[in-house]
Order: sequence, then C-alpha cells, then structure tokens
Amino acid sequence: MKFRKLAIATSILLLSSSAAFSQTVGFAEAIKMLAASCGKDIHAHCQSASLANNGIMTCLDKNQSKVSQKCNADRVVVIGLIQARLAAQAEVAKICNRDMAQYCKGVKPGAGHMLRCLLKAQPSVSNKCNTAIDLAGYR
Amino acid sequence: MNRFLLAGAAAALLVSTTASFSQTKLSRNEIINSLQGAQQEVDISADALQKAAIDNIQKYPGANSPNSLPLADKLASLRQFNVEITFHFDSANIAPESYETVGLIADALHTPYLAGQTFFIVGHTDAKGTREYNLELSIKRAQAVREALVTTFQVPGEYLFAVGLGEEQLRDPANPDAAVNRRVQLINLGYK
Repeated sequence: MKFRKLAIATSILLLSSSAAFSQTVGFAEAIKMLAASCGKDIHAHCQSASLANNGIMTCLDKNQSKVSQKCNADRVVVIGLIQARLAAQAEVAKICNRDMAQYCKGVKPGAGHMLRCLLKAQPSVSNKCNTAIDLAGYR
Repeated sequence: MNRFLLAGAAAALLVSTTASFSQTKLSRNEIINSLQGAQQEVDISADALQKAAIDNIQKYPGANSPNSLPLADKLASLRQFNVEITFHFDSANIAPESYETVGLIADALHTPYLAGQTFFIVGHTDAKGTREYNLELSIKRAQAVREALVTTFQVPGEYLFAVGLGEEQLRDPANPDAAVNRRVQLINLGYK
C-alpha cells in the first residue's frame, strides 16, 4: 500500500512536469479511498460538512489533530488523484487532434462517436494518443 | 470497455428505456449504458418539473399524493437510471458510504458518451413524513448531489439540473414507505 501510494505520488509529480507516466485512477476509485481512510473520522467529526465545495476536506483539516494518521495522509493523495484524472481528460482532445483528422474524418462529433472511432483504430493510432486515452480513463 | 459499450449501445436500443435498479455492484459502464443514446427531443424544463411537484401538493393536499405527476409520463420515455445514495440522518450531507456512487456518476458524465448532454438529478423520498417536508428534503439532497458532481468532480454545471419530487412520484406507490422509493434518479434530456 505504501509503495502504491509512493508510485501514485511520483506519477503525479511526473504528470505536472509533462513527462510520460503509467496511469491515473477514476473519480470513484479516488473518492472511495477518502471514504475508506476517513469514513470513521467523517462520522465522528464532520457529519454536518458537505462533500461539495471542499466541505469535508476543510473539516478534516480543521480536525487534523483528532483525525487518524492514515486519513490525514490519504486525504491529500485523493485530491492529487482527482486532479491528475481531470488534467488527463482536459488534454486528450488536443493530443489526439491529428489522429482524429487522419483516422476519423467525417465522424460526427458528440455522443462519443469520435472516441469509438479512435478506439476502433487503436492499432494505427499514435502512441501518445492511445496513452492519452488510457490516462483519461476512456478505454 | 469499447466493445462492451458498442454492444451496450446496440442492446440499449432494443431493451425498454424504463429505469432500473442495479442488482450487482454498480459500475461506471452500467451508468453509461443506461443513460447514453438519448433519442428524443423532450421539451421539459427543470423549473417546470419542480413546479409540477409543488403544485401537486397544493392541488391535492393530504398525507399521500392521489396520483402521479402528469409530466412524469413524458420523462418515463427518456434514458434514465436510479441509484441509492445514503445521506446522514435528516440531512442533505452525503454519507461516506455513498461517495463511491457519486464518483461513478462523475466518471460516467465525464466520458465523451455523455459529456455535453443535459441531465436532471431528481431526488425522491419515501412517503414517511409530510409531503412538504419530503419535497424540501429531496430538493436539498438533489442539490447536494449536483454540487458534489460540479465542485468535487468538476462536471460542468451548465448541464446539470437538480429537482426534488419528494414523495410525489413514488417508484412503488403500492408500498409508499418502502426503501425502493428512496432514490436519486438521473435522466438524460439529450443535447440542448
């Protein structure tokens, strides 16, 4: 678990320096970590805080001396995981621009048609576009 | 995933579009398959739907609503999905037990299959308690889910509308107090 966290943290650092890296996790998986590591503390100290608008994070931060060590560590990791997935999704269209023009000419944009086209053309699509699709969680 | 979704899209056109509960562990792809492929242009605003519920209580006061909402028939034909979301008692704060479910909805809404389409997030309660109280609670809870999606997970807010229907549109009117009525319903209104 510790190694996995270190690997993910390292991945996030590499992402922010635009180097190639292995994976991101989805929003469900990320927030599940928050529920697992901080669920008890949330029930004990943050029942009146909202998940939205940083309510829970602010509450846990305010109560950090009462909150478990694991929760204090993992709530920071969770924020990073969510940011990493959002960043990957934000740049996939740009990275795949040329592949879309080359392999998906005439495909109607919207409703995932472009994505389906790129997934179908995976063997031909550039490595950087295939990787971007993976990192965005779109495969 | 891509083959599953292609098959799912084809299957979705063949199966009924009525809402369904997840029987096994909920997955992102299950949500996508239930919501994608919005075919019809349905001209209902979230405000109109919300008003219909409020009007229903005023027009037919009493412990229980005697009928379903007229607008509900139009909505029944749309791509939709029901989830159970647990809130702290008597509040609109999502319990940690349901964080993953909200995250799965975010995962689904972020995919190109659903991005850019308009969704109603509709809160429903069971019939325990007054109709006014349940309406108010369901509105706050639908808003809480919407706020979490928009702020925690950056789902674009301009496409999400929260509506509370309280106990005005029970899933199981024969068993008004049953747990199956307590749900958050996602409805795909398509591209607007």
